[in-house]
Amino acid sequence: MSEVQRRKYSQEEKTSIFDGEFMPHIDSMYNFAFRLTFDEDDAKDLVQDTYMKAFRFINSFEQGTNAKAWLFRILKNSFINEYRKKSKQPAKVDYQEVETFYNSDDVDYQSTSDLRAESVKDMLGDEISNALNALAVDFRTVIILADLEGFTYEEMAKILDIPIGTVRSRLHRARNLLKEQLKGYAQSMGYNTDEEEEG
Amino acid sequence: MEINDQASGERKLQCSDVSKCFQLLESILDGEMGETGKEQMKEKLAKCQPCFEHYHLEQAIREMLKTKCTKQPVPTELANSIRQMIQESK
Repeated sequence: MSEVQRRKYSQEEKTSIFDGEFMPHIDSMYNFAFRLTFDEDDAKDLVQDTYMKAFRFINSFEQGTNAKAWLFRILKNSFINEYRKKSKQPAKVDYQEVETFYNSDDVDYQSTSDLRAESVKDMLGDEISNALNALAVDFRTVIILADLEGFTYEEMAKILDIPIGTVRSRLHRARNLLKEQLKGYAQSMGYNTDEEEEG
Repeated sequence: MEINDQASGERKLQCSDVSKCFQLLESILDGEMGETGKEQMKEKLAKCQPCFEHYHLEQAIREMLKTKCTKQPVPTELANSIRQMIQESK
């Protein structure tokens, strides 16, 4: 490794950063990896690779900054560069295609306005998880980062290398697509989603 | 997000710009608009039925995502195998 490094941590410092700031995020990292790959072994490998890289490049991590966001960025890049190609999951629709389709802002409201909070609260099984997994990876990712992990738009922009405005609009579209999925489940559960009142 | 000209206490049934309103509402819910956002949201929810419903739907979905999608059991040996790999690489 010949990359320019701004500082050098001692072995003790490295161990302390690794154990104290990196390892506590292993649950979130594995959850993210599993939701990207849908495969336990791939998720394990992805998390392992991420931590190996984190250790190897630990000198480029600035102590006191957001370790979780730094780790998520490495994991996401590893996924794109290595796992996405060999993923066992058949390729989902590409984000670009979906983006074009959903670019009209009015389309999404009409199609989601009839899903109600009550029917979502009554979904006791895996509906929400399945709905999330059904989204194209770029949409799935922003929902995971925002709603499961609580990252801010600014942190997400850094993790994904996209402008904050794109984070906001992609998240909005992702949520509309998620509602679209949930609406399908609500209908199959017998909710009449088209009428305002029942009985 | 126009000024409502109906009597207060009654929510308007049509939102004039849902796409913009909902996106703003979501940003506020994401905590991106600070305290002014919260005030703005309170006002919106009191005046606009579609925004009111969208808010509750968004809340319900977020709640569900947090409780149902974050508990993927982590393989017990993962942390140890990472530590071991690090040791070996030193």
